[in-house]
Amino acid sequence: MNRIFLDVHALQTVPPSNLNRDDTGAPKTAVYGGVPRARVSSQAWKRAMRTYFADEHLLDPSELGVRTKKIVELLADRISGLDPAVQGETALRLADETIKAAGLKTEVPKRKADQAKEGQAAPPPEAKYLVFLSARQLDGLARHALAGAGDITAFLKDKKNKDKAREIADSRHSVDIALFGRMVADAADINVDAAVQVAHAISVHRTETESDYYTAVDDENTAEETGAGMIGTIDFNSATLYRYAALGVHHLATTLGQGLREDEPLTEPLRRAVEAFVHSFVASLPTGKINTFGHHTLPDAVIVKLRTTRPMSFVAAFEDPIRSDLSGGGHVREACDRLAAYVPDIEHKFADEDTTHTWVLRVGPNTQKIADLGSEAESLRDLVSAIGHAVTERLGNPA
Amino acid sequence: MSSSASVLALRLAGPLQSWGASSRFTRRTTETAPTKSGVIGLLAAAAGIDREDDDSLAPLTHLRFGVRIDQPGTLLRDFHTAHHGVTGKSMPLSERYYLADAVFVAAVEGDPALLSRLHTALRNPVYLPFLGRRSCPPAAPLEPHLREHTCLEDVLRDLPWQASPWYRRRHRNHPPGRLTVLREKGADEKNPADTLTDQPLSFSAAHRRHTLRTVVTDAVPVPAAAGEHIPDHDPFTALIDDPELLDGETV
Repeated sequence: MNRIFLDVHALQTVPPSNLNRDDTGAPKTAVYGGVPRARVSSQAWKRAMRTYFADEHLLDPSELGVRTKKIVELLADRISGLDPAVQGETALRLADETIKAAGLKTEVPKRKADQAKEGQAAPPPEAKYLVFLSARQLDGLARHALAGAGDITAFLKDKKNKDKAREIADSRHSVDIALFGRMVADAADINVDAAVQVAHAISVHRTETESDYYTAVDDENTAEETGAGMIGTIDFNSATLYRYAALGVHHLATTLGQGLREDEPLTEPLRRAVEAFVHSFVASLPTGKINTFGHHTLPDAVIVKLRTTRPMSFVAAFEDPIRSDLSGGGHVREACDRLAAYVPDIEHKFADEDTTHTWVLRVGPNTQKIADLGSEAESLRDLVSAIGHAVTERLGNPA
Repeated sequence: MSSSASVLALRLAGPLQSWGASSRFTRRTTETAPTKSGVIGLLAAAAGIDREDDDSLAPLTHLRFGVRIDQPGTLLRDFHTAHHGVTGKSMPLSERYYLADAVFVAAVEGDPALLSRLHTALRNPVYLPFLGRRSCPPAAPLEPHLREHTCLEDVLRDLPWQASPWYRRRHRNHPPGRLTVLREKGADEKNPADTLTDQPLSFSAAHRRHTLRTVVTDAVPVPAAAGEHIPDHDPFTALIDDPELLDGETV
């Protein structure tokens, strides 16, 4: 099988901030190269990416999934939407039976069941865990439920119809499910393996966590009432982060291809998914304490690699921490200088240079050294569409 | 330990690694060295063996496994929260443990044809490689190192010390005398051994299963260090002699 990997590398400076904190409220850290570094977990950044898809309209709601326990209600609404004659209890029952036929367990939450005993309306069942279903899967299940609306129990007892329910839940995956995966504990056969790997971001230099002691004045206090209305501390750090993520494009294509009709080419959904991945990885930002620190920044330097061998992280270039001198340019310039030397070296030594296409997006003179690593993109928009185009072309003409 | 066996050795290094052997639920621990289950999983993923495909996995699980701790790293506890996608409410908290800043040599011994196929697959993997957990990509290639007519013990004794340059600099004046090797017993070996629930039987999501394997602890003198970045060997000598080797894999 032909492999196509896309790896994305970004250098991003964040001012004093606390993007991702541990249970003591301090920013996360890790030791690397023997010195402490700032760290932002992969989970935090993946959540920022998922949110970005929807908030920035990178993808249509029909291409996204919903992660919820209230799956029965959601499906009942779709059923009523397709056939307005089917409402209320009837729609809920159709939905519940169909969800169960797909292999997902549902139950009426105990707390709500107790409320119902006190004379309130009977609550709808919920899944026991968060279920991640795509919009198309919900539509498919709704149509399937209506097909058996005459006698849903008998309909789903038929093995053919039961298998069909499960097949619907295991095809036409949304872009976010295909990228980040789906785990269902008691219906493992509809799990989806993530096509994306996001590394924990770490600073390219030694970082110490600092503590901000603050006092806040109570405006309504009289002159006699001395002292602060509130005191406390907030931990923070500031860092130039090395961020890395990799995508198995061939893996993504397999997942997105499940259940497509003959007349639906894979190239378009794949291109949109790859573009959304690159765009959201580059531009998204975890929002932890963003109103306290206002750490809105974008990367200074982005390197994207399209490969046929294997993905490759460049984090080892920063194992020896950068010690910024005072001659100007700061951590970003030195980090770019490091990458400009490291990337050709490692790719040459491991014979990966000939099978790799590289794009660079960079801001300002401090990133000058990485300009020659690949084709320079004018803007994030250009970068994203160039990559989408290249992936589509590779898929059409497998090497 | 017959001389007809080959040994495939990998350098496992990255800012974070995490090798769980028996953790479940909300406390996800790591062992202090890579597990057989994790390394076989890495090899199986590279070869494109599907999680549900126990038949293709079986020959890999029969490989004899060993690991050398070249740079032990430090334990990192990560506090993890999740939020409900619709209501925004917190989901159960979990603790995940990682090894930061560690370097290991992991090796498997067995059938030369199988190891040759895995060696090639590592250079051109089907699924993304990771060090025990998906969020832990290897820093730099795994430098797969294939040797024929040898045994696990010899490779783990002779392969140059893989610790990072900064680590070797820091220990220049008082270098570690020996490196710990944790390995499975040889076929006829009488040495006493511990056991660990780390013999993979199935990676199927529906019924992931492991059983016990033996762990013998050895210590070997520190071999001469490798070059500054790349060990003193050509990792590609045995590589892609036969590109057809990858045919027949499942995807």
